[in-house]
Amino acid sequence: MTREAFSPRIAAFLCSWCSYGAADMAGVGRMGYPADFRVVRIPCTGRLSPKFILSALRQGADGVWVSGCHPGDCHFISGNLMVRRHFTLLKNLLEYVGVEPGRLHFSWISSAEADKFARVAADVAAAVRALGPASGALGALIKAV
Amino acid sequence: MQTRIVNIRAAAKAALEEGLCRVVAGYAPGAIAMRARPVFIDKPEDAGKLTWSSFCVGNLAGLLTQAAKQASGRIGVVAQGCVSRNLVGLIGEGRLAREDLYVIGVPCLGMAERRKIEARYPGRAIIAVEESEEVFVVRGKRREERMLRRDALRDNCYTCVQRNPVIYDALVAEPVPDTGGGDIDKVAAPWEKHPPGERLAAFQAAYANCTRCHACRDVCPLCYCSTCFVDESTPQWAGKTGDFADVATYHLLRALHCAGRCTDCGACESACPQNIKVRRLTSKLEKDVRALYGCQAGMALGESPPLTVFRPDDPQDFIK
Amino acid sequence: MQSYLLAKDRLDGFVSRLADRLTVYVPAKGADGLWSFVASGSAQPPLALTPEGGNTNMPPKSFVFPRTEVLMRFDNRAGEGGMILREEPVPAGRAVLLGVRPCDAKALAVLDGIFGRRASGDASGEVSGGAFGADPYWAARREATILCGLACNYPCPTCFCDQMGCGPHHREGLDALWTDLGESYLVTILTERGRELASDLAPAAQADLNRAESLKAEAASLLTGKFPMDKIAQRGVLELCELPLWAELAATCLNCGACTHVCPTCHCFDIQDEVKGERGRRLRNWDTCMSGLFTRHASGHNPRGDKLARVRQRFMHKFKYIPVKRGEAGCVGCGRCIKACPVNIDVREVVRAMNEQAPQTPEGAA
Repeated sequence: MTREAFSPRIAAFLCSWCSYGAADMAGVGRMGYPADFRVVRIPCTGRLSPKFILSALRQGADGVWVSGCHPGDCHFISGNLMVRRHFTLLKNLLEYVGVEPGRLHFSWISSAEADKFARVAADVAAAVRALGPASGALGALIKAV
Repeated sequence: MQTRIVNIRAAAKAALEEGLCRVVAGYAPGAIAMRARPVFIDKPEDAGKLTWSSFCVGNLAGLLTQAAKQASGRIGVVAQGCVSRNLVGLIGEGRLAREDLYVIGVPCLGMAERRKIEARYPGRAIIAVEESEEVFVVRGKRREERMLRRDALRDNCYTCVQRNPVIYDALVAEPVPDTGGGDIDKVAAPWEKHPPGERLAAFQAAYANCTRCHACRDVCPLCYCSTCFVDESTPQWAGKTGDFADVATYHLLRALHCAGRCTDCGACESACPQNIKVRRLTSKLEKDVRALYGCQAGMALGESPPLTVFRPDDPQDFIK
Repeated sequence: MQSYLLAKDRLDGFVSRLADRLTVYVPAKGADGLWSFVASGSAQPPLALTPEGGNTNMPPKSFVFPRTEVLMRFDNRAGEGGMILREEPVPAGRAVLLGVRPCDAKALAVLDGIFGRRASGDASGEVSGGAFGADPYWAARREATILCGLACNYPCPTCFCDQMGCGPHHREGLDALWTDLGESYLVTILTERGRELASDLAPAAQADLNRAESLKAEAASLLTGKFPMDKIAQRGVLELCELPLWAELAATCLNCGACTHVCPTCHCFDIQDEVKGERGRRLRNWDTCMSGLFTRHASGHNPRGDKLARVRQRFMHKFKYIPVKRGEAGCVGCGRCIKACPVNIDVREVVRAMNEQAPQTPEGAA
């Protein structure tokens, strides 16, 4: 498959209180962003277990994007701050075993930031697209059936 | 070593006689060379069953959570530095209560890696190994060899940061230097020196022989979930196969569950029937936890595990 | 029965000639220090058939009963009439395992009694002899695997094969038995399949056979002595289930699968379908009676719901249930579980305790 023809599948875990709203608003505002995402709406990034991210990668996601509320804005006060440490360690660990840094993306996007949502979505899609289909360490994590 | 054995027995006997605890978890001699087995004793006259050696490589803290669930009352436990750190961790996580523990503390000289001793004398059946502070005396059928302790320690023991117990109610020997002398940060994440493209090969090679017996999980005092993620079936987070994807998922998630809580006690590596260097992932995570959050698990009572708290200024360079 | 002689300095040549027509696996030491069976081409010459430490770290069980085995595949291709099931082909070609210890070969013979086996030399024959009918996957792989044993001249402190109806020079389950005579191997042919491998070897002399016999007696004398199991055989299952030793074991048993995974006779498995989109596969994976998941029902009920029941199962299965059904122990005395157990549960001590604690007279007898 050529890079141009490659359309990545990116699992996007979006917090219901902010980034998911931003995606809605980007849509309402007719802002263009790549269609490479499979969005999973989650109640808070604090709910996002590393299991979910591994699970997406095992099922063949070419990349993962997690987006939640800005620090201090969490609907549950501190879910995003709590999970930030988990994300840091998970990302480091996956890179340690060889997963390319460009496969995992994290962002804080409030529900008012439709423009940031569209911009980050474009960045994430471009980064994953540049890496091509999951291969190497990421490919080794894919559950073959 | 003999002092430790004598004093462990005396401490256990006294504790049981005086009613300071209803049972003591310790080690008894193993059935074959270079092994010790966990044992629970509840009668003062059984204190003589207890022993201590550099082959007490499990982690008794793990058995305590189970014992604590089964009956109430104070439990005694023989604990060296790392095990005492695990006790502190389990207290912090609400699994054990300090007042329910009677800790018989053992200043540790480092635990032995039996495979290093076996590798030194290939093809020869080792019948017994005796030890002093400096040397192991390895007995075969006809021969007797001496091996320096520093050549036979487990990897994690060279870089130990807490050889003396953090908490104890009785101490069975004079405290030893607190560290094993090695620098854990230098060796914690050996694959970092590989270019990213070559890390997968190291990862695959390290876990190639894993049969998923889950001994590393079951020996670990941190793994007390009533249902482990690996046994969950709806959804099934890790498949049941020996395929690398499932092996990797199991080990990655297990390591992540231990992040910020692991004391590098090495029980997982000692338990592995396949010689897998299971600490490759956990020691990398603990290195990050130290560097990013300045925490080491179980070093003081009252500290919260680093992954249950946050600082507003925690590093987040990677977040857009 | 015929016997041949192979000088040790000719071993590498012999193996490489064999490897021209069959896949040959030999014990070799890996980078991690463990001995395992590897394809002869990837073993570092000169070959050494005797692992340091007596035996390979894992038994050769996985050659016949893989850790993960695909039983069939299915997919649901639109326009092709719905569900399509495809049998998974068993790998073609025959393999020779060289240097299999008699205990491990006996273990495969024990498992033949459970999974069933084709009459030797008759690849298309009916599978028979299995405890629950026939297992074609087992039988096919068993048929494709020729076992050349290497007799044990120096049993380990953990060995108790003689106790379990086996022995350091036992021949059951093998196609040929090799005996290390020092400068050469005595190759004793045991089956027709074993014979094809020895076509270019010189016959052995009577002195060689005598030497092998004396090595056999010497090896047997090195084993540490038998222990009684009579009461285990005489008492009923329920009587043995109530013994106090089970609670003692359960206090420290971790319920990990180390013992069952290294065991040459443990054969419990779990069948599972893995489905992705329109495709899927049916798998057989090793499982272990130590795991609660192994027996947990869909309802949530677990007939072996606690550690005690699970640790008891392993020993009762090997030393009571299989003997009752098959007339021989489900253990071959290889001692791997003794070495592997993280809490040093010693199967010999367990069996001794079972026998000691079993009631003298049957329950209810006056």
